[in-house]
Amino acid sequence: MNPTPLLEVHDIYAGYQVDLDILRGVSLDVQSGEIVCVIGPNGAGKSTVFKALYGFVPVREGSVLFGGQDITNIRPQEALKAGITIVPQLRSVFPQMTVRENLELGMYLEPNQTRVNERIRYIFELFPRLAERAKQNAGTMSGGEQRMLEIGRALMWEPQLMLMDEPSAGLAPLITKNIFESVRRLNEEIGLTVLMIEQNARQGLEISHRGYVLELGQNSYAGTGRELLANPEVRRAFLGG
Amino acid sequence: MDQFNQALINGIMLGGFYAVMVLGFSIIWGVMGVINLAHGELLMVGAYLTWMLNKGWGWEPFAAIIIVAPAMFALGYGLQYVLINRIIERPPLISLLVTFSLSIIIANVVKLIYTATPRSVNTMFDGFWRLGNITIPVTKSVVLVAALLIMAMLHLFLQKTRLGKSIRAAAQNREAARIVGIEINHVYAITFAICVALTGVAGMLISPTQAVFPFMGPPLTLKAFAITALSGLGSIPGALMGGMMLGLVEIFIATYVPGIGTNLGIVASFVILVVVLVTRPQGLFGGLKPVEQAH
Repeated sequence: MNPTPLLEVHDIYAGYQVDLDILRGVSLDVQSGEIVCVIGPNGAGKSTVFKALYGFVPVREGSVLFGGQDITNIRPQEALKAGITIVPQLRSVFPQMTVRENLELGMYLEPNQTRVNERIRYIFELFPRLAERAKQNAGTMSGGEQRMLEIGRALMWEPQLMLMDEPSAGLAPLITKNIFESVRRLNEEIGLTVLMIEQNARQGLEISHRGYVLELGQNSYAGTGRELLANPEVRRAFLGG
Repeated sequence: MDQFNQALINGIMLGGFYAVMVLGFSIIWGVMGVINLAHGELLMVGAYLTWMLNKGWGWEPFAAIIIVAPAMFALGYGLQYVLINRIIERPPLISLLVTFSLSIIIANVVKLIYTATPRSVNTMFDGFWRLGNITIPVTKSVVLVAALLIMAMLHLFLQKTRLGKSIRAAAQNREAARIVGIEINHVYAITFAICVALTGVAGMLISPTQAVFPFMGPPLTLKAFAITALSGLGSIPGALMGGMMLGLVEIFIATYVPGIGTNLGIVASFVILVVVLVTRPQGLFGGLKPVEQAH
């Protein structure tokens, strides 16, 4: 393992309201090239971790380091510029824009149009399905295709770290399997580093190198994906026995 | 037959104005989720600016666009920063109350300064063309052409430019727009400013065809409501269809229903509004969908 992790979260406290911290001392780290999965029951603060990383929720204590730089309470635009991109849980395509326009907007901050077109060609190679649908309005595609577009759009900005908030949310099991398969393939082929939150703990951990269990805004277990899948307590609590 | 053709032409000319008049209202609603009840008053301010340039310096009203558009843009930008920005994420009732108050303030301030006397604006594009037994007023033809040009330009702006795309993105999915790095507050400020400029220019367009007075706004706001119900939020083709429909209905009623007076237009708008809301709450030509709330 590398001596310095790509992302280090040190004991953060964060929440929407003052005096009501949802995260009460969460720590985790992600090495470059890893897939790391955060699991935990509803209300454990999984989504809040991402919002805190992305500047949507203020961090009151603790720190976030990215590539050794302090990025605590960074603004969304700066997080993007630093190389962190996010695939949110809720549908996040622009429904009345074409697949191509959606991808273009993934590189909204890039002034060089040639560069944008290069990246679109690259994304189309990774996801030939998106290339076929380039001119279709994103809102008319299936849930799985939209999720794929969201991932493609997040990759436009050549991120060093991709945050995925419940990639399986709202998708049929077979589609979820395909999406997880794509994530694993991207990790192997282009070395994409992924930190994801997953309700579907088993499938999430199966493709992950390591995992964290979050309960009531605090870390409860950590380990490799296999260790967590084999841990009897984690199994009983989150994997249905 | 001549009467029918005449009504058709008059309806189309009125409809073109309605279409360009409604855009500012419908785009602000679609992008920001704010129902701007001061819409008609902002249009009235544009009309007064045109009247001042026309009366004071003898400007051709259609040339006033070079002053009206930037001045109203600046006014919109200021209003957004001082007022609208603070109410945008609040419940719709707040934005209704604030913009309603704003409409009363603007109308009465204009009345204080310029009195309630109706003003008229003169243009060199006056007179009529004759086509058989049909008369085509030159001023209104210029208004129609200008309205169509403005809509075409706005359409290109929204479809092709980076700023235009960021406005559409913010309207379609606020959180996703934030995620790709779009500064939402900047987009809102620009959107509001563009829409106010557009509304001011609509006031400029209408000024040579009707009296300009401080209380000309409310009926126009109500018509904007009715057209938006027809057209859907922020849709330019929809605004064109909805505007034309209202224009035609108004003129045909005025032509064929005798003895009801000239104020029937507003009744027609309300009948349309009620019928559409009851039968097709999603709008006729587009989606009357709420803007997504930020999480």
